[in-house]
This record gives sequence, structure tokens and C-alpha cells, in this order.
Amino acid sequence: MKFLLPHRYKKIGTIIAPLGLGLWLCMQLGYIKKLLVYFFGQPQMSYEVSPHHAVNVTTAILGFLCFLGGLYFVSFSKEKIEDEWVQRTRLDSFHFAAFLQIILTIAGFVFMMIAGDPGEGGMMLFFIVLVFLFWLSFIGRFNYILHVKYKQ
Amino acid sequence: MKNTVKEERIKKQLTQVQLAEMVGVSRQTIFSIEINKYVPSVVLSLKLAKAFGKKVEDVFKLEVSD
Repeated sequence: MKFLLPHRYKKIGTIIAPLGLGLWLCMQLGYIKKLLVYFFGQPQMSYEVSPHHAVNVTTAILGFLCFLGGLYFVSFSKEKIEDEWVQRTRLDSFHFAAFLQIILTIAGFVFMMIAGDPGEGGMMLFFIVLVFLFWLSFIGRFNYILHVKYKQ
Repeated sequence: MKNTVKEERIKKQLTQVQLAEMVGVSRQTIFSIEINKYVPSVVLSLKLAKAFGKKVEDVFKLEVSD
């Protein structure tokens, strides 16, 4: 496969993806803001134009990019021995992830028809979850087959 | 498709790791072939047969359902 990265990227991805997610969650939960206020005090100007806000936004972007990059590295790295069975397992895992995504997309829309319009934010969140669910289910299944199920 | 990879490997006193190294695949690949969860490619089948010193049709046999 032409698109696969060398195996060492998998380790890098395994480290930076959770770090990025943690950083992004810290920003979302307001911990970064609290830390900035604790170390540098309340901003003297309006929060939206303060350096605190700039640091907060930069942290969020950096965290999210690390998470995306980490997912890419984990998903598209070769295994130590990349043979035909590993390639078939990778393909099967893509099928599994796509199938799961379709099922959840349908279930989500049926739920929205019953429960009502979730609003712009709700829809945005729904689509973000769908995208990440694809990659996380692919990574989960592929590594489960390779390193748990056939470990015997 | 049935295969006698496990029997042949044991006859040759090879571990899954040793056989995997001989034919250039992972140990999991050998394991999945042995438990009939994976049908190998023609190239890998030929390599396995060669490693056992047998003809490919002696190691891999078609079943009625194939």
C-alpha cells in the first residue's frame, strides 16, 4: 500500500493522539483558562481580545490538530510485518467501520425525526461524532484482531 | 478449503514463529491459516508447500462447498 507510513509513526500517533485529545478537553472544560488566571491573574481588558483568549484558542487548535495527526499516524502506519493477512484485516476493519457509521447515521436521523430538531450545534456535534467514530472503530477493530484475538 | 499446515508444521518440528520467518509472514498469519480463518494467496500457499517439501495440493485441499 502506497499510503502507509513506516511502523514507527504508529508509536508517535499512540502518544500524541491522547495528549491532543486531553489538551482539547482541558480547553473545552475551562481548565486552561483557570490555569492562566491562576498564574497571570484576570485579564485587564475584555476577555475576547486578551492574551488569555489567544492562548486558549491556540491550545484548542494545537490539541485538536495533535489528535487528528495522531489518529492519522495510528490508522495509516504499517505493522512490523506487513503481510497479506494484515492487509486483509485492515480492509475488513475499514468495512466494519463504514458499516457501523452507516448504521449510526441512520439511527441518528431516525432519532432526530422522533425527538425533534437538535439545532445547529447538535447537528455539528452529531457529524463530528460520526467522523471520529469511523476512525476510532477502525483503529479499535484492527488492533483488537491483530494484537488480542490472534495473540494465542 | 482445508489445509494440513498445522500437521505438516508439527511433523517438521517447527514453531509458528519459525514457519512464519521461513515464508516471510507474521505468526498471526500462520495461526489464522491453521484455524482455517484465512485462505492464503497462491504465492504464500506455494511458499508454505515448499517449506514442507510437498506439493501445494497435498497441503491445501478443496472442499465440496468451495
